[in-house]
Amino acid sequence: MDFNLSEEQQSLREEIIRFARKELNEGVIERDRAQYFPHDLWMKCGEMGLQGLPVPVEYGGSGLDPLTTAIAMEALGYGCEDGGLTFAIAAHLLACVVPVWKHGSEAQKKRYLPGLCNGGLIAVNGITEAASGSDVFSMATTAMATDTGYMLNGSKTFSSNGPVADLALIYASTDAEKGYRGGISAFLVEKNTPGYRSGQRFEKMGLRTCSIGELVLEDVQVPADAMLGEIGTAAVIFAESMAWERICLVACHVGTMERLLEQAINYARTRKTGGQPIGKMQAISHRIADMKIRLEATRLLVYRAASRLGDSWEIDLDAAIAKIHASEALVKTAMDTMQILGGYGFMVDYGVERVLRDAMASTIYSGTSEVQRNIIGRWLGL
Amino acid sequence: MATNTQTIKDTVKNYLMTEFLPGEDPNDLTDTTPLVTGGILDSISTFKLVGFLHSKFDVKLNANEIANHLNTLNDITDIVQAKQGVA
Ligand SMILES: Cc1cc2nc3c(=O)[nH]c(=O)nc-3n(C[C@H](O)[C@H](O)[C@H](O)COP(=O)(O)OP(=O)(O)OC[C@H]3O[C@@H](n4cnc5c(N)ncnc54)[C@H](O)[C@@H]3O)c2cc1C
Repeated sequence: MDFNLSEEQQSLREEIIRFARKELNEGVIERDRAQYFPHDLWMKCGEMGLQGLPVPVEYGGSGLDPLTTAIAMEALGYGCEDGGLTFAIAAHLLACVVPVWKHGSEAQKKRYLPGLCNGGLIAVNGITEAASGSDVFSMATTAMATDTGYMLNGSKTFSSNGPVADLALIYASTDAEKGYRGGISAFLVEKNTPGYRSGQRFEKMGLRTCSIGELVLEDVQVPADAMLGEIGTAAVIFAESMAWERICLVACHVGTMERLLEQAINYARTRKTGGQPIGKMQAISHRIADMKIRLEATRLLVYRAASRLGDSWEIDLDAAIAKIHASEALVKTAMDTMQILGGYGFMVDYGVERVLRDAMASTIYSGTSEVQRNIIGRWLGL
Repeated sequence: MATNTQTIKDTVKNYLMTEFLPGEDPNDLTDTTPLVTGGILDSISTFKLVGFLHSKFDVKLNANEIANHLNTLNDITDIVQAKQGVA
């Protein structure tokens, strides 16, 4: 496996970093404080093609392979200091756009993908419910067949982009007895559909520039052609989207960790105590060495998993390993950076506390660390 | 290359016994034992089985086939054969 970046990958990486630094970072502290979702920046990201990286060009995407998609996401995580915006883009792309691209009818792809790719449409993935998170397929939301299509009832929670979304990918039970095996279906619900609304918007510890909230579905009548894929196949659609998310979303963490590493090195080389830079002290240099090891190991895991996305029969295992390692490495790296920066790390202006707050969610969303360990254990025959 | 019915069944049964039913009596796993509705395969192990079928028989199952055609050894054998063009 050769993970040296090609010339095209290198220039894409540089282009995204340049773009992010120039366009996305100003005002991030205020946005974070106000929990403000920057729609204007979302549109700029759309112009850059970030919301449609792997989608074929004919539907408005950039047609990148999964590894190059991960490299682009890594570049975004590196250049963009607004972790909430990065997360909003990743959730939209990987849990919503990818399923529409992979499982949509031709009509659905033509209707939604161009807008989803260029920023014109924002999507939310609604699967988690108040009483079913890790046990996600025990959902209570139902879709009953009617003469003209389906009637959806229920509610979803923790839905990223929910309060600002134009299109919702809703998972609902079409056969409670069958459960995940043939009993869950997916529907594309447009925001103006009667009975559909965004419910409570949550105040959060981190990722504050990404709007997260509840989705409420009360007698929402959708036509039969709002179903994504075939009836009863949504557990598979969801699993595939989670493989993408667990690999390409955490690619952003690789970039963020690299940014933190550089910040820690710069600080350790210039901050002096007792007349010498703190980086000369083994306690600090070893901590930074561990950050470097963690970064490189995570990058390899993510690249390897991304290079196998779409081909490998073990992708769920690869994705679980990459996800758990990257998210836990991000949390540890953020804490290490804060420790190295001392009191300054704790102050808002330095940005590290925000990364740490954002990072804390990474071991929960896209399946908790415990769930990833369950998956790995099962793959090992346990 | 197409694989015959008994070979598919034996291979899959052997896999299921080794992976998901270690120490159990193979005679209890018949051609019609419900795997999913009987609780032998949950969502994680179903995807693992799908991966195994891909690697062993070179068949890629779509979402509908995964959801609806893996409940018994007979179902699995039928879908593998159908995908290999021997139905
Ligand atoms: C920032 C953020 C964004 C999110 N975005 C979305 C979104 O866009 N769409 C969406 O649908 N959902 C979203 N979620 C929801 C997320 O997927 C769930 O929070 C997550 O799956 C965990 O579910 P839960 O919160 O109900 O916790 P629970 O499932 O109740 O788990 C509570 C604790 O028990 C542990 N636990 C549960 N079951 C097991 C088990 N079998 N073995 C071992 N430990 C177990 C968990 O690991 C956890 O520590 C988001 C969550 C967050 C934090």
